[in-house]
Amino acid sequence: MNTLAALSAVLTVGLITYMSRAGLIVFLADRPLPTNITRALRYVGPAVLSALTVNLVAGGQGVDGVEVEEVAAIAVAITVAAVTRNLIAALAAGMVTMWLLLWLL
Amino acid sequence: MSGDSTSLRHDPLIRQALRSGVPLFIPAIPFALVLGVAITESAMPTAVAWSTNLFVFAGAAQLATVSLAATATWLTLVSTAAVINLRHVMYSAALSPRFSDQPTWFRRIGPFFLIDQLFALMAPRVELSSRDWRRFYLTAGLFFFTSWTLTVTLGLVVGSAIPTEWRLDVAPAIMFVGLVVLGLTNRPGIVAAVTGAGVCLLALEVPNNGGILIGAVSGVIAGYIADTVQTRRARSSLDGPS
Repeated sequence: MNTLAALSAVLTVGLITYMSRAGLIVFLADRPLPTNITRALRYVGPAVLSALTVNLVAGGQGVDGVEVEEVAAIAVAITVAAVTRNLIAALAAGMVTMWLLLWLL
Repeated sequence: MSGDSTSLRHDPLIRQALRSGVPLFIPAIPFALVLGVAITESAMPTAVAWSTNLFVFAGAAQLATVSLAATATWLTLVSTAAVINLRHVMYSAALSPRFSDQPTWFRRIGPFFLIDQLFALMAPRVELSSRDWRRFYLTAGLFFFTSWTLTVTLGLVVGSAIPTEWRLDVAPAIMFVGLVVLGLTNRPGIVAAVTGAGVCLLALEVPNNGGILIGAVSGVIAGYIADTVQTRRARSSLDGPS
């Protein structure tokens, strides 16, 4: 990605981020969102972040980009996050799993 | 005027804001370090990727922006980051009553700092007056902004020294999956996450990483339907056996 494309992407993401935070406060002060919308918004986080995880594991190479070590690391991270509710523990467990497998295989 | 700048350091409100901000920031440190490493590995020029700290200031959107630059088109990258940020709309909806009696400059500048941690910190402070709420908000917001940017920069410096065999490029994916699991509070959330991941997996061959958005939209719809079903069931069981 060249500098101009990258910078314009960053500035656009910045503007959208600001708008999503400021929109209701600056432009729509005190008008509450319809409950349907707030209910749908609740599921944006889990839906987009899990889709993003799958995409990053594939690394833009389709299903061929998926590596055993990565999948194992993700699976361990899910388990540890669910049990400990601790992001640092999940990250550490996932990375250690991958290093072990890279060393073993 | 009691709050003159010479005594800011001893102002109990400022101290309280900083003291309550620190424990919320500590869990964000690994995330910031991972982002710093991802910036060194980004397909974007390092300075541009680093500038997301100043222009975006939203961890997940920043990490998506710098990691997707290698494979996604401009439009996919921007729309993915936009979808990730939609949750901020909820925060601003929840806090907007506290902004309604604030001065215009604060209504414009304040939202920039509205990250997850600041929301968690400010939403329960109903006891504070308008002026105190604003000072608490700005103190904590500036604290998060400064510590975040410094920690990301530290990750960038450390990350460029770590050899690629350590495969730190996988850390963002692990981070995102951890965030998903920690964010799951109910069954519809699990439905949304599993659908999002499953549909994205099926849609991996869609060009320009379009699978992310297809997965995200399917996940939201599935979560919403599951939520509706759950609410209806809860309501009919409240009505008692018939």
